[in-house]
Amino acid sequence: MPDPFYHLLAWVLGFGSFFLLVLLIGHVLVALVVIIPTWRICVRAGFAGAWSLLHLIPVIGSFVVMAILAFGDWPNGEATSD
Amino acid sequence: MGTEFVALLGLAGLSSAFAFVALVLAAWMAWRIVEKAGLPGWTGLGAVLLTLTGVGTIVPLILLWIFAFMRWPRDAAFASPARAPAAPGPATGGPMAGSSGAGGSTAPAAPSALPPPPKALADGRGWTLTGKLGDGQAVSLSFDASASAWMLTGAAAAQPTDLSLPDPSVGQPHARLMVAGARLGLADLGTAGGTFIDGARLLPEHGPRDITAVRTIRLGGVELTLSRV
Repeated sequence: MPDPFYHLLAWVLGFGSFFLLVLLIGHVLVALVVIIPTWRICVRAGFAGAWSLLHLIPVIGSFVVMAILAFGDWPNGEATSD
Repeated sequence: MGTEFVALLGLAGLSSAFAFVALVLAAWMAWRIVEKAGLPGWTGLGAVLLTLTGVGTIVPLILLWIFAFMRWPRDAAFASPARAPAAPGPATGGPMAGSSGAGGSTAPAAPSALPPPPKALADGRGWTLTGKLGDGQAVSLSFDASASAWMLTGAAAAQPTDLSLPDPSVGQPHARLMVAGARLGLADLGTAGGTFIDGARLLPEHGPRDITAVRTIRLGGVELTLSRV
């Protein structure tokens, strides 16, 4: 293998890793904006606030949190329960 | 060329179908969530459907923050004395009518017990609540199944079943503990300081809650750790 190939490979791998890191940090930052209010909603409903961390799971996580809040019985009581 | 175009079209159609299902599902769940908080369901549905408009996701995000930190009608309904008699709580709903937010002037309610478990094993152990008062003084309260109900109060113990927590944030009385076999229940008596089970607020309308497996309870500003002895 010629040296230029490894040189290019190193660049591709390095750039790819950097891109993934930026993507990961960006995802966590965006998720935080949703996690903070969801944490409070969960606590006010009577659930553990840690459920809101499911927002960290891309695509499906938000739906799971919403399903818990929408279809679970709120331990702290619901306005529609009676 | 034609095949690739059809494949791309199919992929786009499939993605759109998934997106549509996800949107409907999210709107339905948002409707239910805001309804449980006491708001009209259409507000939640509208917030989700706003993502389809030009405002994108910023406005729904702002609405999420507002919803999380606003005062929910559910809380107002639970706090109003008029709701208490209608509450379906098995033991405490009736006696606590009109006492919410009374700040320690609540009249003691008739003791009640949790129904025993169907196959309770004989367990002679008692419970201990340990913690620190607001002034830093350590407190340890022990009780067992010798009485079916124990009263947690900020006043000095007047009855053998009174458990005294001399702290200004604790109501007089504040909450009732109920012992049934190996199970332990807790009912809030509507004082201003509030009762919390593992961080979650317990309201008088909730009636007695099973705290057998609970680690900590908080009465006003006093946090207590529950353990078996």
